Amino acid sequence: MVIAIGFEGSANKLGIGIIKDGQVLSNPRHTYITPPGQGFLPKDTAKHHRDHALSVLKAALEEANVKPEEIDVICYTKGPGMGAPLVSTALVARTVAQLWKKPIVAVNHCIGHIEMGRLVTGAKNPTVLYVSGGNTQVIAYSDRCYRIFGETIDIAVGNCLDRFARVLKLSNDPSPGYNIEQLAKRGKQYLEMPYVVKGMDVSFSGLLSYIEEKAPKLIESGAYTPEDLCFSLQETVFAMLIEITERAMAHCDSSEVLIVGGVGCNKRLQEMMGIMASERGATLYATDERFCIDNGAMIAQAGWEMYRSGVVTPLEETTCTQRFRTDEVKVTWRG
Amino acid sequence: MFSELNVPFPSAEEAKIAHGSLSVDREPKRGNVSRELHVKGNILQVRFKAIEVRTVRVSINSFLEHLKLVCETIEQFGPPR
Repeated sequence: MVIAIGFEGSANKLGIGIIKDGQVLSNPRHTYITPPGQGFLPKDTAKHHRDHALSVLKAALEEANVKPEEIDVICYTKGPGMGAPLVSTALVARTVAQLWKKPIVAVNHCIGHIEMGRLVTGAKNPTVLYVSGGNTQVIAYSDRCYRIFGETIDIAVGNCLDRFARVLKLSNDPSPGYNIEQLAKRGKQYLEMPYVVKGMDVSFSGLLSYIEEKAPKLIESGAYTPEDLCFSLQETVFAMLIEITERAMAHCDSSEVLIVGGVGCNKRLQEMMGIMASERGATLYATDERFCIDNGAMIAQAGWEMYRSGVVTPLEETTCTQRFRTDEVKVTWRG
Repeated sequence: MFSELNVPFPSAEEAKIAHGSLSVDREPKRGNVSRELHVKGNILQVRFKAIEVRTVRVSINSFLEHLKLVCETIEQFGPPR
C-alpha cells in the first residue's frame, strides 16, 4: 500500500491531492480568478499560491483522513509552467518532505494529466489529446516514452480561447473557456476563419489575431452576435484538433482516444471527438472538471507510478523548470 | 555590493529544514545576483552579492516572501514545539 500526496501549482490553480493505490482520498483546489478582460500574471499567481497553500494542504489531509506519518511519498510539479507559481508550490512540498522525513518525486505536469486520465477512465493504451491553457499536444506511448505526434507551433488552444474571452470581457469564473462554451451553445451563424493545420501540428495565433481584430466590428454592426463568434471559434479550433488526433490514431492503429487538460472538459470537443472515434470504431475516454482541470491528485498519481518503479528525486535536485517536454521523461512504470 | 541576512530559528533542526527548502532554486540569471546560504547552529545565514543595489533588493524581497512561506509551513505542519 502506497499513499502519495501531490502538489500542483504550475498555472492559476493550486491543488493538493492524496492518492492511495489508485483511489483518490482527497483533491482540494483553489483557483486564482482575475477580473474580466485580464489574464493571470506570474507574480500575482505566485502570491495566490503562497496565500492558499497551507489551507489547501490542511483540507487535503483532513478530507483524506490521513496523518502525515501515513504518507509514503511527496510529489510536486517540476514543470512545465510559470516559474514563480511553480517555485512557491515546490517550497511547501520540500518543507513538508523534510518535516515528515519523506522522499520526494518530481513530476512532469503533462505526464500527470495522462496518468490521471488513464486511472480515471481505465483506458489502456490511448492516443492522448492534451489540451489546456498552456499546452496543446497529441501524444502516443511507445517504448517507454510518451511521444509527441503533433503540437501547437505557437499558442495553446486554451490560451486562444481565454484571450478571445478577454476581448468579449467574459467572466473568468469558473474559467473563461467554460463561459465561451455556454455562449457557443446559443450560436447559430458560422463565421469562416483561418484553419491552420501544418502536417501534424496546429497554429492558433493567426486565427486569434484575425478574430480579435474582426470581433468588435462584427458585433457592433450586428452581423454576428458574441454567441455566433464563440460558436465559430470553437468549431474551427476543435476541428483542427480532431484532424491531427485522427491522423495520429491512424498512424498508431489506435483503438482508444483520451482527452485530458482543462479544455478537455468542453462537452462540444468531447462530442466531436466521440463522432470521429465511433466512425473509426474506436472508444473515446474523457473525464470531468474534477480531473481534467489541473489538480493535485494527478501529480500524486503520476508520482505514485514513478515512486513504485523506483524513481526518487534527491532534495537538492527538486528544482522547477518552465520548459519540460512530455517526451523528456523516461516512462519507467509502463512496459 | 554585498548584503547579509541572519535569520534565527527556534532550533538548529528548523534552520536546516529552511536551508534545505530555500537553497534549491538558483537566482534568475538576468539579475546577476549570487546568493549563498549557510546554517550556523540555529541561524540561517544568507549572503547576496550583486553589482546593482536594485537587483539585490528584488532578490531579497523574493527571498523573504519564500522564507515566510517556509516558516509558516514549519509552524503549521512541523512537530509541536
